[in-house]
Amino acid sequence: MITVKINNTEIQVEEGTSVMKAAQKMGIDIPNLCWHDELEHFTSCMLCLVKDKKNGKLFPSCSVKATEGLEIITDDAEIKEARQTALELLLSEHTGDCEAPCQIACPAHMNIPLMNRLIATGKFDESLEVVKQDIALPAVLGRICPAPCEGACHRKTVDDPVSICLLKRFVGEDGNSPQIIPAEQIGKKVAVLGAGPAGLAAAYYLQLKGIQVTLFDKNEKAGGLLRTEINDEILPKNILDKEIETILNTGVDFQGGKEINITEFESMKKDFDALVLATGTVSENSEKYDLKASPKGILVDKDSYQASDEKVFAIGNVLRSSRLAVRSVGQGKEVAFSVMQYLNGQEPKGEPRMFNSRFGKLVANEFAEYLKESVNEKRTFPEKGGRSGFSSEEAIEEAKRCLHCDCRAIDDCKLRTYSDKYQADQKRFKTSERRSITKKMNHGSVVYEPQKCIKCGICVRLTEKYTEKFGFTYIGRGFDVEIGVPFNEELEQGLTATAEKVANACPTGAISMREI
Amino acid sequence: MTNNFQNIDQLIQEKGFTKKSLIPILQAIQKEYNYLPEDVLRYVAEKTSITASDIIGVASFYSQFRLQPVGEHMVKVCVGTACHVKGAVQVYDAFRRELKLPEGVNTEESGKYTLEKVSCLGCCTLAPVVQIDNITYGHVATDQVGQIITDFESNKGNKNPKKARKADGSEIKGEIRIGLGSCCVASGSEEIREEVESVVNESGLRVHLKHVGCVGMCHQVPLVEVVPNEGEPTLYAKVKPEDVKNIVESHFEAPGFFTKTKNKLLHLVEDIQTDRNWDGIERYEISMREKPVASFLGKQIPIATEYRGMINPLDINEYKKRGGFTALKKVIESMSPDEVIREVKDSGIRGRGGAGFPTGIKWELVKKQKNDTKYLICNGDEGDPGAFMDRMLLESYPYRVIEGILIAAFAAEISHGYLYIRAEYPLAVKRIREALKICKENNLLGGNILGTDFGFELMIYEGAGAFVCGEESALMASIEGKRGFPRIRPPFPAESGLWGYPTLVNNTETFAQISYILREGSEKFKNIGEGKSTGTKVFALAGKVARGGLIEVPMGISIKQVIEEIGGGIANGRKFKAVQIGGPSGGCIPAEHADTPINYESLSEMGAMMGSGGLVVLDDTDCMVDIARYFLSFTQEESCGKCTFCRVGTKRMLDILDNITKGKGKQGDIEDLEKLAEWTKKGSLCGLGKTAPNPVLSTLKYFRDEYEAHINGVCPTGKCTELITYSVNDNCIGCTKCVQKCPVDAIPFTPHEKHSIDTELCIKCDSCRAACPVDAIDVK
Repeated sequence: MITVKINNTEIQVEEGTSVMKAAQKMGIDIPNLCWHDELEHFTSCMLCLVKDKKNGKLFPSCSVKATEGLEIITDDAEIKEARQTALELLLSEHTGDCEAPCQIACPAHMNIPLMNRLIATGKFDESLEVVKQDIALPAVLGRICPAPCEGACHRKTVDDPVSICLLKRFVGEDGNSPQIIPAEQIGKKVAVLGAGPAGLAAAYYLQLKGIQVTLFDKNEKAGGLLRTEINDEILPKNILDKEIETILNTGVDFQGGKEINITEFESMKKDFDALVLATGTVSENSEKYDLKASPKGILVDKDSYQASDEKVFAIGNVLRSSRLAVRSVGQGKEVAFSVMQYLNGQEPKGEPRMFNSRFGKLVANEFAEYLKESVNEKRTFPEKGGRSGFSSEEAIEEAKRCLHCDCRAIDDCKLRTYSDKYQADQKRFKTSERRSITKKMNHGSVVYEPQKCIKCGICVRLTEKYTEKFGFTYIGRGFDVEIGVPFNEELEQGLTATAEKVANACPTGAISMREI
Repeated sequence: MTNNFQNIDQLIQEKGFTKKSLIPILQAIQKEYNYLPEDVLRYVAEKTSITASDIIGVASFYSQFRLQPVGEHMVKVCVGTACHVKGAVQVYDAFRRELKLPEGVNTEESGKYTLEKVSCLGCCTLAPVVQIDNITYGHVATDQVGQIITDFESNKGNKNPKKARKADGSEIKGEIRIGLGSCCVASGSEEIREEVESVVNESGLRVHLKHVGCVGMCHQVPLVEVVPNEGEPTLYAKVKPEDVKNIVESHFEAPGFFTKTKNKLLHLVEDIQTDRNWDGIERYEISMREKPVASFLGKQIPIATEYRGMINPLDINEYKKRGGFTALKKVIESMSPDEVIREVKDSGIRGRGGAGFPTGIKWELVKKQKNDTKYLICNGDEGDPGAFMDRMLLESYPYRVIEGILIAAFAAEISHGYLYIRAEYPLAVKRIREALKICKENNLLGGNILGTDFGFELMIYEGAGAFVCGEESALMASIEGKRGFPRIRPPFPAESGLWGYPTLVNNTETFAQISYILREGSEKFKNIGEGKSTGTKVFALAGKVARGGLIEVPMGISIKQVIEEIGGGIANGRKFKAVQIGGPSGGCIPAEHADTPINYESLSEMGAMMGSGGLVVLDDTDCMVDIARYFLSFTQEESCGKCTFCRVGTKRMLDILDNITKGKGKQGDIEDLEKLAEWTKKGSLCGLGKTAPNPVLSTLKYFRDEYEAHINGVCPTGKCTELITYSVNDNCIGCTKCVQKCPVDAIPFTPHEKHSIDTELCIKCDSCRAACPVDAIDVK
C-alpha cells in the first residue's frame, strides 16, 4: 500500500493506482474526457490536471501513478483555470448545438425538437406532454405567440423555418392533455396574485410540485389580458377556457373577483408560505406592495424572480411591460422552481439552465447534411388558411421538416457537464472560421457527427480492443486530425459489434445512439 | 485483386507481418507506386496482422506518405527557416502561378508537376532552395521559376553516363578533393565530380580523386580543393563545371591531351550546363590561408567534426589512420562499463538533442536495469526546419557516430540498437547503410566485436516525416510501427522504452562526441566550454550572416563571436537584429544581448534554448511577428494532435498571429496570445507543445512594440504583405525592368517615365523591387 496526501488528507491506495483513481476513491471528482475504464490511460484531454504540491507543477492525474509521499492538490484556482482553458480550447473546435437554437430562443425553453419528432410520428399526446413540461397554455400561445423560436430555427437561414408555433397549437388543441398526477402535497401554501398567463403558469407548475396554490384575480374569470385584450377571432374563448380549466383542474384554488388590497397582502404574507405577484402592469405596484423597484417595474433577482421581500416573488408584466405572453408563461414555470427552492430552505436560483454549445448560423452546404435526417420539403401552410391551424396530416408533414439540431447526448455529455461546472466560455477562442458540419448516418443504430469530436480516441481504442475489422482510426494529424472509418468505409462497416459500446463511451455527442 | 500483388506478397515477406513492419512496408509501397494506393493497403491489411485502422492511422500521420497520386515530378519548395527569411513563400507563390495551380490543388492539370512545401532540405546556405526530383536549385528568385522549369525539362532526360576511373596508381601528382556533403551535392558537386573525373580520365592524369564530407563552408559550395604533391593546396569555391578543366590544367600538366572530338563533346555539355542564368553566382578562387575562410574555420574546435574536409566519409582505413576506433578498442579491451560511464560523467557532456540531460547519468540508469533485452537508439530525427547537423554528422562522419554508439552500448550493456534517421535524409541513410556493412566486414559490429565477448547489432530505421518523433517517446512509438504519439514520462525510456524494455536514447551529435572523450580523456573535453556546459556544440549557422554553414564551437562562446568572427557579420551591410536559436522550440535573442554566452543555462534564461542547434541570424529587414508566426505555424503543423493544449492551443495561437500579421489584429490579442502561450507551455504533454510557445514568448518579451505596431496596422519592416503596399519613388529612371518582371501586369509600360504600380493588381511578390536597379520601389 502507498500513502498519498490529497488536498491535505492522507489516503492509502494499492501500488499502481493512478492519482486520479486515488482521488476518486476519496470522493473527489477529477474531470476527464479521454479516460475509459476498460482502456489504458491516454493523456489527451488534459482535464484531469492536478498539482504536485511540492514543486507546484501540474500533471495529468489519469496517467501518473501514486507514489509514496506524493502530495496533491486537486482544485485550486490555477487548476480550475487550467481545466476551464482546456475546455474552452475543446469547445472552440467542438462544432455543434446542445439544445437546438429554437429551444434556447424560446423564453420558456420548450423542448421543441422533441415535440416535433413526436408529432412527426403521430404521437400527439406524448408531444403535448412534452410541451406542457414548459408551457402551460400551448393552444393559447399557439395562436398568439410571435414565435421567437422560429426566428432562431436553423432552417431559417437556408429555407423557411419550421412552423413551430402552429405545431404547438396543433398538439395543444388536438392532443389529449396528459393525465395529471400532481406530486404528493408537501404541506406548503402559496398564493399567486393575478390569473393572467404568468399567474396561471405559476399556479400550474407549483401545484404540480405538490404545493397548494390559491390563485387570486380581480376578475371573475381567469385569463387576464388573454381574455380582455385579444379578440375572439384570434383566440376563441372556448380554447382559452379549456386550457384554463386544465390548469385549475390540477387542484388550484381559484378565487376570482378578488382584488387584493395592501392590508390583505400583508396578512397573506402571514397566511401563505410564499407569494407570487403576477398582477400585470400597474405603475403603483411596487409602492403598493412596499417592494424595491426598477424604473420599469418591481425589482427582482433575474434568475429567481425573488423580490426585495424574500417571501415575495414577482413575474410577468409587473417586472416590465411586455406583449410577449410566452415570456410570462415561461416565467411562471421558472418561478415555481425558485419558490420550491425557497420553501425547501435553499437559495432560490430558478430553473437550472445548463451550458449550451452553439455553433451559429447554418450554411447552405451544411443544410444537405442536416437533411439526412429531415425532409427537403417547403414549409406547410394550413389548407384552410392561417387561422384554422394544421390538420393532423399537415402537422405530421410539417413536423418532419425539423432538422434535429438538438444533440442526442444532451443529458449524457461530459463535455457539457464540465463546461457547465467550470463555466467555460465557448467564444473565448473563436479566432478563426468554424468547421463545416457533417453527419454520418449510414448506420442502423448510431449517428456520427465528426465535428463534435474532441479527439479523445476512446472509439479508436475500443474498436481496436474489440478487434473490429475496420473500426475507427485517426486520419491525419494535429489540429486537422479526424476520426473516421479506414478506407472511407461506411459507418456500418466501422462499428459492428461495438456500436453501442462506442456510442455510450463517447464523452460528447459525436457518436450517439439513434432514438428508438 | 489478390492475383496482382505478388510484388506486395514478396515485400511483406521481406519486411514482416506485424505492426512493427508497417512503416517499412508503407515506405516500400510508396517507392513502388509513388503513393499508397488504397487497394494495395487493403491487401496489406488482409495479408498481415496489421489492421486497417493501424494502416490508415500511420499512413496519414507521417508526412512522407501520400494517399493520393501525385504528378510525374515533385517540385519541393523548401520553407525552412533560412529559406523563409529569404523569401521562400514568394517563391512558392511564384511556382503556383507558373504551374497555374488553382487554390487547394497542388498538381498541375497535365499531371506533370506536383508542388509541395517541405520543411527543410538542409541546404540553408543556398536559400531559398527548390528541389525538382533530384535536382536542387539554390538562391531562387521569384522571377526565375519559369527558367527553372525549363532547365529541369532540358536536363531531366540526361542520364549521366558512369565513368570508370583508371585503377593505375602510378605517377600520382596530387589529390583533388571534392566536397560531397548535402550542400555541396545540392549545389552541383555531383556534376563537378563527374566533370573532374572526366577531365582526369581523358587527360590521363595521375591524381587521387577524393570525396570528402562536409567542410562546413556551405556558403561557398561547391568546393574543390587541389592538393599537389608539391606546393600549396588551393581551395576553389563556388566551382562551375566549365571551370573544372581550367582548374585541373592550371595545377597539373597532362601527359597527352584531349582529342578534338572529345573537346567538342565537352563543350556541348558545357553549353547545356552553363545555360542557367538563374545561377548568377560567380566562381572565384580563394586560398585556405586567406583571412575570411581561415577565420571561418579557425575559431572552431572540431570534435564531432574532427578532420572535416580531410577524410572520405566511407573510407574506414582513413578513419582508423586518424585515430578512429582507438577509443572503442581501448574501451572494450581495457575498461569496465562502469569505468566508461565514469569517464563520460566526468567529461560533463550533456545531451546534444536540446534538453541537456547529463549523458553519463543516462547511461548509468540504463546499465542499472537488469534486463536481458535492452535497446539503444541513436536519435537522428532532426526536424528543426533550420538545422542539419545530425544529417551532416551521419553523412560525413558515419564511423564516428557508430563508434560512439558502440561505446555506449558497451557501457550500458546493450546488444541491439537502432539508428533512427529522418526520411528526408536519403544520403545519410545510404552512407550509414554502407558504413554498417563495412563495419560488419571489419568485425566492428555483430558478434565478438574485435575478438571480444562484446557483440552489438545495429539497424537503420528510417523515419517517415514527423517532427514530433524527435521526442523520444514518440520516436519509440514510431519504431514500434505506431503513430508518433508521445506518452507521458515517467516511466522514462531508461526504465521502460522500446516495447517496454529499457532503452537508451541519445542524439546523434552526442554519440559523435563520445569517441573523443574516451580517446583524449574526460579532462581534455571538460576543459573546453564553461561551467555546466562542457565540450563543443555543432550549430547550423544560417540566415542573414555573411558566411553560413555548419560550425562547431566551444560551449560558452558568445553569440556575437559566432556571428562576427565566424559568420563574418551581417550580409549586405544590414543591421544585426536578433538571432533565433533552437528552432521551433527555441527563441529569439535580440542584438542587445549578443554577449550572451552559448550554454544550456544562459540560453534558457534568455527564453531560447540549445534545442536543435539551429542558429538563424536576422537583420533589420526581418519582422519578428512574422518570425514568431513562422515557427508557430511549423509546430502547429507538426503537432501530433494528441493533447488538447498543443493540438488546439497552438492552432488558436496561430490564428491570433495570422490575424495580427494580416492586419486583423485587435486590442487584447497580444494579452490573449500571452495567456494562451502560458497555458500551452504548462498544459501540453510533451516537449513539442511545452516549447512551441517559446518563439512567441521570446519575441513578445523583446519585440512587443512590433506586435503593437501590427495591431495598429503597421508592419515596421514591411514583411507582412497584407499590411504593406508597393509604390514607385522619384528615383525611378523609367527603365521598365520592373514592368518586365511584374507577373500580373500591375506596372504599366511607360518607358523613360516614372513608373507606377496598380495596387489593386499588385500581388506583392517583390519581383519589381528585386529588379529595380535604382532602389525606386518603396514598400510601406
